[in-house]
Amino acid sequence: MSNATASSTTDPGTDTTNVADRDKARRWREGGSEPLLRVRDLRVTFQRQGAEPFEAVQGVSFDVHPGQTVGLVGESGCGKSVTSLAIMGLLPERGNKVSGTVDYEGTNLLELSDQQMRDKRGKDIAMVFQDPLSSLNPVIPIGLQVTEVLERHRGMSRKAATPVARELLDRVGIPDPDRRLRDYPHQLSGGMRQRALIAIALACQPRLLIADEPTTALDVTIQAQILALLKELVEETGTALVMITHDLGVVAGLCDEVNVLYGGRIVERGDRHDLFAQPRHPYTNGLLASIPRMDAPRGQRLVPIPGSVSDNLPWTSACAFAPRCSQPIEVCTQKMPELEEHHQRALRCFNPVEVSR
Amino acid sequence: MTDPTSEPTQPDEKATAPAETERTAYDGSDVLVDAKGVKVHFPIKRGVIFDKTIGHVYAVDGVDLQIRRGETYGLVGESGCGKSTLGRAILNLEPPTDGSVVFDGVDIATLKGEELRKKRQDIQMVFQDPLSSLDPRQSVESLLFEGMKAHGIAKNAKEARPRLVELLNAVGLPEAALAKYPHEFSGGQRQRIGIARALSVNPKLIVADEPVSALDVSVQAQVINLLEDLQDEFGLTYLVVAHDLAVVRHISDRIGVMYLGALAEEAEADDLYAAPLHPYTRALMSAVPVPDPVIEDRREQILLTGDLPSPSHPPTGCRFHTRCPWRQETKCDTERPVLRVPEIPGVGQSHRVACHWTEQIEAGEITPHEVAPQATDLSDLLDGDASLMGPASISEAL
Ligand SMILES: Nc1ncnc2c1ncn2[C@@H]1O[C@H](COP(=O)(O)OP(=O)(O)OP(=O)(O)O)[C@@H](O)[C@H]1O
Ligand SMILES: Nc1ncnc2c1ncn2[C@@H]1O[C@H](COP(=O)(O)OP(=O)(O)OP(=O)(O)O)[C@@H](O)[C@H]1O
Ligand code: SF4
Ligand SMILES: [Mg+2]
Ligand SMILES: [Mg+2]
Repeated sequence: MSNATASSTTDPGTDTTNVADRDKARRWREGGSEPLLRVRDLRVTFQRQGAEPFEAVQGVSFDVHPGQTVGLVGESGCGKSVTSLAIMGLLPERGNKVSGTVDYEGTNLLELSDQQMRDKRGKDIAMVFQDPLSSLNPVIPIGLQVTEVLERHRGMSRKAATPVARELLDRVGIPDPDRRLRDYPHQLSGGMRQRALIAIALACQPRLLIADEPTTALDVTIQAQILALLKELVEETGTALVMITHDLGVVAGLCDEVNVLYGGRIVERGDRHDLFAQPRHPYTNGLLASIPRMDAPRGQRLVPIPGSVSDNLPWTSACAFAPRCSQPIEVCTQKMPELEEHHQRALRCFNPVEVSR
Repeated sequence: MTDPTSEPTQPDEKATAPAETERTAYDGSDVLVDAKGVKVHFPIKRGVIFDKTIGHVYAVDGVDLQIRRGETYGLVGESGCGKSTLGRAILNLEPPTDGSVVFDGVDIATLKGEELRKKRQDIQMVFQDPLSSLDPRQSVESLLFEGMKAHGIAKNAKEARPRLVELLNAVGLPEAALAKYPHEFSGGQRQRIGIARALSVNPKLIVADEPVSALDVSVQAQVINLLEDLQDEFGLTYLVVAHDLAVVRHISDRIGVMYLGALAEEAEADDLYAAPLHPYTRALMSAVPVPDPVIEDRREQILLTGDLPSPSHPPTGCRFHTRCPWRQETKCDTERPVLRVPEIPGVGQSHRVACHWTEQIEAGEITPHEVAPQATDLSDLLDGDASLMGPASISEAL
């Protein structure tokens, strides 16, 4: 991934309208910049008394470069949230085992003490969750929740922090911020709460923002506002963004690089243009064929992926997706395919979809 | 397929009724559901002792729509716009505050006892969350048999057996499923059971409220295809209520777009997507992300500012005027636009829009402008948001 190809001198000929913003991340990469975050072989196993241990994340590896937007996409239960919580050190204290490395600029976050991790979370890494209501303190006004973070992490006095908090609320598009500072979370709409949450995250001036389904609970017109806001902030501040979602549409417009997860492992990775133009993993390909599209000719029948995740085989001895795959071969049920990297693409499949076109 | 002129069963007394000016000009003979001026207002109560009504949620506030036999009518709109409530009002599960719903020629509100029970059999519902709509203590066999027994289709389980197997077959489940319980199935399979249950009493209309939105992305297509197949096989009429525009577009013949309790626009699916006319529909369509980076990079979005207003305090005049980029100084905030066929060349009789300025907007005589965002205070509404993953307080975690 770090070897830039010869064609790196930017080609302004591409007829997409907003190339500039995305180029920033590309430049980071092509300049051979060190990744900001390097996740290697991350594993999370849940152990409950009386139940079989369950490995929710089974060896996930990916990089995030400064200024880059990286997508983690996959359906419910594939381990997206657990991955992000593990990176942030926010998994419940008991009942799980985390291994691998989460290297943030040379520090393995998994080895930090609670206090050290808390510090990192404030200063360097922030997050936004799907449900803003449950991640805001219900009994403290929004404004105070922003100023608390400013006081704690940027050493401001309450007095100095208040106008900054006001500015932050304004920055994320909350109308009438002076009044809203005093509002409690339940008085705000879902969209405004999500903006407040983003304001809190920004208060830390993070270099990395992890957003776990930040728009899933929102209406589509509000989602469009929040996505536009995130895009703008990333562009303006150079913050790296890890975007977690099950919506391939969201990923297509936002992420420089996309990781597709299935059953706790990455099955495919690529630049968003390459990945969507030429999905190689039968799961990625199948998903794209199965979702109704606004722009497809009507009357076209959808091609579903058969079965459900409950049909999955264990990764340890097979391709988990094999029972649902449209083109399995014998070896698919006999051993696990490894994630292999080729030309900025990574693929975990014995019998990938043919390259057409 | 069949010659439309050879339909013998249509009563023609309705066909001669003059078409109303503001309504579409169908002769009415093929109409299964005719909703007129439907309103559903929920009182907001406060106070421990007096239980005083302090206001109303205008969940559905004057909707006219017709659903024709054999078609799929899609109802879209954002959370809280009243889609589900309208669906429930059509089923008469939520008696309308005002207006009427005529189903298959009969005003349901006038029915009682046996007659009502019989009519109810003709309208079945498929819910969003298959697990919470299926009794966990009942086996699939008993779940499916229940309705058949209540409606006198079968007296005992044994007699019903062949029919149950047939039903399971139709929804793609094996016979062995009969002895199992809901929790033993995946989400998609449970939704199949929910659909089989609705089918078990031979309904004419199925109201499906968000039938796929709780399902895994990879499973949604299975259920969408199933609904389409069953419609062909059993000649069903569907009312599909959903917030996912791509799903609704795929499945529907006609679509109604709701905003704050009223229809903003109604058209054939193809017309609506090819040429949305109402400012809200335009914005809504432009906001849906498409899984194609090339299209995403070129997409011209109409970004709406601010919150959806609260349905307990709907804006005056056009409900959309507080967020409308085309809003005009006159009329928009004072007069409520009616749903009407606009006078635009090439726009057919089946396309209705509730905007004062449709013609001028379409002709480019009115151009969009910036709108100052407004936040909505939700203190007077109950909040049903379920708590999902995430720490209790983010400002503490940080
Ligand atoms: N605290 C926990 N204890 C036990 N199992 C858990 C816990 N948290 C998550 N899991 C399991 O780990 C798996 C991955 O969950 P995760 O929340 O990461 O999925 P996800 O990809 O975020 O899905 P969604 O799209 O539904 O949010 C799931 O099977 C889930 O049931
Ligand atoms: N029984 C009720 N009592 C009071 N208010 C209600 C009741 N049912 C619905 N409402 C309110 O009526 C409005 C419309 O609700 P409805 O469920 O019809 O919306 P919807 O379009 O189906 O939204 P969603 O997409 O979230 O399902 C909402 O503001 C809701 O809070
Ligand atoms: S009536 Fe006015 S406010 Fe309403 S949609 Fe039309 S232009 Fe916009
Ligand atoms: Mg999650
Ligand atoms: Mg609803």
